[in-house]
Amino acid sequence: MPAPGSYRSRILAGTIASAALGMLGFSTIGFGAAVVGESRKVEITQKAPSGIDALKALYRRPASIPFPKDNPYTPEKAALGKKLYFDTRLSVTSAQSCASCHSPGFGWGDGLAVGVGHGMARLGRHSPTIVNAAWSAIFMWDGRLPTLEDQALGPIQSPGEMNMKLDDLMARLASIPEYKPMFETTFPGQGMKAKTLAQAIATYERTVVSERAPFDAWIEGSEKAISEDAKRGFALFNGKAQCAACHEGWNFTNEGFQDIGLPSTDIGRGEYLPGVIKMQHAFKTPGLREISRRSPFMHDGSLATLEAVVDHYDHGGVDRPSRSDLMRPLSLTAQDKADLVAFLKTLTSELEPTAVPVLPR
Amino acid sequence: MRTIALFTCVIVAGFSVGAFAATEMIHQQGRAFSVESISVKKGEAVTFLNDDTVPHNIMSASKGNEFNLGSQAPGTSTDVTFKEAGDVQVICAIHPRMKMMVKVTD
Repeated sequence: MPAPGSYRSRILAGTIASAALGMLGFSTIGFGAAVVGESRKVEITQKAPSGIDALKALYRRPASIPFPKDNPYTPEKAALGKKLYFDTRLSVTSAQSCASCHSPGFGWGDGLAVGVGHGMARLGRHSPTIVNAAWSAIFMWDGRLPTLEDQALGPIQSPGEMNMKLDDLMARLASIPEYKPMFETTFPGQGMKAKTLAQAIATYERTVVSERAPFDAWIEGSEKAISEDAKRGFALFNGKAQCAACHEGWNFTNEGFQDIGLPSTDIGRGEYLPGVIKMQHAFKTPGLREISRRSPFMHDGSLATLEAVVDHYDHGGVDRPSRSDLMRPLSLTAQDKADLVAFLKTLTSELEPTAVPVLPR
Repeated sequence: MRTIALFTCVIVAGFSVGAFAATEMIHQQGRAFSVESISVKKGEAVTFLNDDTVPHNIMSASKGNEFNLGSQAPGTSTDVTFKEAGDVQVICAIHPRMKMMVKVTD
């Protein structure tokens, strides 16, 4: 029989060993001090919409535009913001305005594969639309800006885009006699400064909302508003093709970031979350409203047509560690693809012409 | 015999240390966390359950409590034990609307 002391030692050693075994058995370490356990399979009950009417309800247009509490809507602010949005004097060369890259004529984009910046130099990414930006949670393809107000000032200051220093811009705007009283009326007690400039532009941008499309008439009960092909496409969009996993809600985006397997060296969101594999090559999911006016498509403008976009998703893209787990070959038939494109085309409205404002002198 | 029985009990106890039930369960449904914030004691575990229809990437870059669950598939759960006191901002890297705070107390 072992001595009592030895017996206690063995229990202590066993306790330590078994605790360590337990940790090994159930834990791995994350990239920090928090301890991350092993994932377990869990039985869950998914709440899926039941029937086509429940599905349609998920896509109903909102009744009003959301404006932030710290920058509420006023008609004067939106009108001033519109003048600033279309004013080329916001760029150092006085040749570019916000509307140069986000033009109503191209679904509030520019119709180019990648944008053109200062000195007509090609930019690295496709100019995104500003349609329905009021509902966005985060801005730019890589999500680097948290508010539309920040976004409004970003391209103005960017050396590759409008290349205008804010101090110089405010001095230039102050030299235009008609601007100062507009700022004073719109922002009593605040006047003309970078913050109010950004608030005015962002307020105008929030008023740029996609108009009623055939799809809206259909989900509100007009069965003849879209074709039978498009109705099948809607079912595929929410089913076999899995598009709705990311393109969800009335603006057809959950504002998420995914690597969809485009063969590009641009790491996108990965620049801001370098330790997160799934963010490498990940870009913000764009909304799909007014999509027919917005070709070419994708963050790099690499796909010219909606047919090419559907083919890309059907193929699944480049298989790499960062690729979204939702991306995989879909085995869509030619009819499926045609139906999906027919559906996507129902998201484009008959946009009313946008009047270019008379600018202050 | 008594030694073997005791050793077995200790081994079982050891495994249960590693697998002990978390005190808080955070659900992920409809691209949202089930709560905006919770409070836990240092050393306690929180279970993050993906009961949504799509993968999530739950993580935190808050100093002292950094973690990253990678791509968490629907129908899986993972425990996270917080080692340092303080406020921990937890996000889904894929879905930027998903944010919550874990307050870790001593």
